[in-house]
Amino acid sequence: MKIAVPIKFVPDLVEELTIDPSGTALDTTWLRLIINELDDHAVEQAILLKERSGGEVTVLSAEADGVDDFLFTAAAKGADRLIKLTGDFSAADNHALGRAFADVIKELQPDLILTGVQAHNDLDGSVGPLLAEYLGLPYVGYVAGIALDGNKVVARKEYAGGLVAEVEVKLPAVLGIQAAEQPPRYVAYSKIRQVMGTAKIEERPVSNLESSGGVVVGRLFQPEVAERATMLEGSPEDVADKLVGLFKELGTL
Amino acid sequence: MPIRETFWNIPHWAEIAQYIAALVTAIIFIAGITRRVLRWRKGRPEKRSGHFWKRIGALITQVFGQQRTLDEKFPGIMHFSIFWGMLVLAAGTALATIDWDVTHLFFGFQILKGGVYIAFELMLDVLGLLVVLGLGMAIYRRYIARPARLQNFPVKKLAGDDTYVLVMLAFITLSGYLTEGLRLAVTQPDWAPWSPVGNAIAALFLSLGDPTNQTLHLIIWGMHIATAFGVLISLPFTKLFHIFSVPLNIYFRSLEPAGALRAANMDGGMGVKEWTQFTWKQLLDFESCTRCGRCQDVCPAYASAQVLSPRNMMVKLDDHLWEKKPRALHGEVVSVDELWACTTCRACVQVCPAFIDHVTTFVDLRRHLVDQGKMDQMLQDALSNLGRYGNSFGQSDRMRAKWTMGLQPPVKDARREQVEYLWFVGDYASYNATLTDVTRKTAEVFHKLGLNFGILYESERNSGNDVRRVGEEGLFEMLVDKNSQVLSKCKFQAIVTTDPHSYNTLKNEYPANGNGRYPVLHYSELLDQLIAAGKLKFSKKLGYKVTYHDPCYLGRYNGVYDAPRRVIEATGCELVEMPRHRERGFCCGAGGGRIWMEEKEVKERPSESRIREAVALEGVQTFIVACPKDLTMFRDAVKTTGNEQRLEVKDLIDLVAEAL
Repeated sequence: MKIAVPIKFVPDLVEELTIDPSGTALDTTWLRLIINELDDHAVEQAILLKERSGGEVTVLSAEADGVDDFLFTAAAKGADRLIKLTGDFSAADNHALGRAFADVIKELQPDLILTGVQAHNDLDGSVGPLLAEYLGLPYVGYVAGIALDGNKVVARKEYAGGLVAEVEVKLPAVLGIQAAEQPPRYVAYSKIRQVMGTAKIEERPVSNLESSGGVVVGRLFQPEVAERATMLEGSPEDVADKLVGLFKELGTL
Repeated sequence: MPIRETFWNIPHWAEIAQYIAALVTAIIFIAGITRRVLRWRKGRPEKRSGHFWKRIGALITQVFGQQRTLDEKFPGIMHFSIFWGMLVLAAGTALATIDWDVTHLFFGFQILKGGVYIAFELMLDVLGLLVVLGLGMAIYRRYIARPARLQNFPVKKLAGDDTYVLVMLAFITLSGYLTEGLRLAVTQPDWAPWSPVGNAIAALFLSLGDPTNQTLHLIIWGMHIATAFGVLISLPFTKLFHIFSVPLNIYFRSLEPAGALRAANMDGGMGVKEWTQFTWKQLLDFESCTRCGRCQDVCPAYASAQVLSPRNMMVKLDDHLWEKKPRALHGEVVSVDELWACTTCRACVQVCPAFIDHVTTFVDLRRHLVDQGKMDQMLQDALSNLGRYGNSFGQSDRMRAKWTMGLQPPVKDARREQVEYLWFVGDYASYNATLTDVTRKTAEVFHKLGLNFGILYESERNSGNDVRRVGEEGLFEMLVDKNSQVLSKCKFQAIVTTDPHSYNTLKNEYPANGNGRYPVLHYSELLDQLIAAGKLKFSKKLGYKVTYHDPCYLGRYNGVYDAPRRVIEATGCELVEMPRHRERGFCCGAGGGRIWMEEKEVKERPSESRIREAVALEGVQTFIVACPKDLTMFRDAVKTTGNEQRLEVKDLIDLVAEAL
């Protein structure tokens, strides 16, 4: 079983986000990047599958600050291959990223592709379904739990309202991970350091990033205070009366 | 002339038999000791030589003087009596034997004659009573008083070992007295009254008459000898082995600063997975435990939830060394919960009469858990945050100096300009919202005192003290590297910190620069120095009745007890001590990374127990701390114990600021 895990780095929300002068993107001066939390879960899920039934796990990421450390950490957890796409990804959206991943993954020919089901900076859809489209593979998202069964998997897909479906998918397939079966494990620093001496990060240059089909950002802005908010005060009865009055005024009642 | 006829009434064959028995005993004894020593040698190497005279000195005070043993009155006197009584009796018996079968037999010369012999008889007779007294106290304590710490054996069969030792010692002493009494009853020498106990026993047997007493004497002498050799044979195999292991353990104890933890074993994974990865000295630790339980009595983890008993840990680890089918060290021999329960407060180490270092062993065992990534989610998050942001709060490093906003004059940036004091602020004082006021107040006091000080702003990282004690050695090293890099570029004369944890590792574990380690001061020491130099003068006498809590990493780890007390008194406060103070100070429960872990079910939190202790002091309304973590721990505990009206928790700096 060959498992590929494409991951991406996203802005760390611990830092305050600011908009750059163009008004369409984040100011990168103070930006610090962090692994997308759900991608971290995808890596954990891949390692769990490997521990359960053997196989080879390849973790792929586009070049960014901190990616090397993350890849080595993944290797310390048990990932076998580390691939870093190099190039200028500063303006790459998920369409571009998906295509870049697809090119490398075609060559890897994995049986299973796991990736985080979403990220907080997905403006043009999440990576998983895009990747599935470019690879011509089936996709199941919001997966929390995977059972391997020969050339197919049974994925536990979570729905709103606490519903769970078991979805059978033929391999190869792309699964969007909502949560690994256990929280991502801790790796001691000494182990990461050890791996740094032995593991190798394969670099794959990506020259043309193709973002067609994505979205164009017209304006990026901080939440703005709207002026229409009116606070209703008084006892619950008073507030209810006022509300009814307002609705009538607005013609909704 | 009074003379010692050692083998009176003993047929020649019996005397010969005794020497043959002695030879057999010696062989088994040596074999038994060798068996133990070979086991220790399976441990990893560790250097514990040097400071010969210092080590010998400790043997004199601790073994012969029984100094630590005497810290507790009843058990102390009990052990002291048995120790000195048995020592004198054993030495006396040896001397009598040498006197008769060596000097007398071969050289026709006796030491034990005349006045010397009389004095010898009197001394042995009276000191033998010490053993009787000690054994009586021991039997009362173990079987009638039954303190908790002598109970709940994790290894049940050891109850037999305890009984065996008491029975054998009692038998040796009583049969010795009987032998003497019977001899005196038959021979009735003029000097018999100089053996008051023997003589009194003789009086009881007088009526039995001669052939009976002579026969009885031979029989009891035989039993006395047999028991004595029995004790010697069993010494390497029973609790009696502590007679051998404890002096060795005291001799080989670490003379390094208490606050400097040994680096982790990295051979075959980090820490200790199997007992052979302990050092020989740790194995000697386990074999030195006499199960006295003093550590258990002072352990905050034991007091709060009974999860961890340092005593039981030692007992289980020692038992594990000899298991025929070795169980897994983690999970089977010791539980993960008990390992995480330790606050590394060092109270156990401080009271151990055998000078066992429990904490180092716990940390080594934790290191393996970290190596395997086995820890609770809160701790995992804290460590991840420490690795990523340099603080356990998971906040941006750029927010570290947010507390300085608006302070006038602004706090200097020690990275940019030379300062006299580099203030290492620490995570809690920097990030914890409820501590900002106190941190700002400290800066204001420093300003008022005209100190030239600065901070590292966002370049400061968690010092790593508790990261190391959690067992994450690699992360600790990384934090040390990052802090050291910044420190090496700054110009300052001394580091000052309000945090005893940072203080400990900066002082004892950070690498030395060209001039040795940076001088590191706790703010209580700095304030104390300023008071002594006349640079800090108070305008007010506060007159509060206060008590003071010793932080573990300031007190037990670094011996700073007096500086904070002098500062408190200089502010005109009356200091009332809690029963547990200075070396016996009771941990707040936050140390060793406990503050980052999930709280399991507890009977009473250590911090709550501490607050109740303070509340019991008459008239004390203020509880003074000298550690940022203590401030949060005890403010919480005052609320949870419902003592908000009764007791106020204040930082030392609050008193100083008020009295200025």
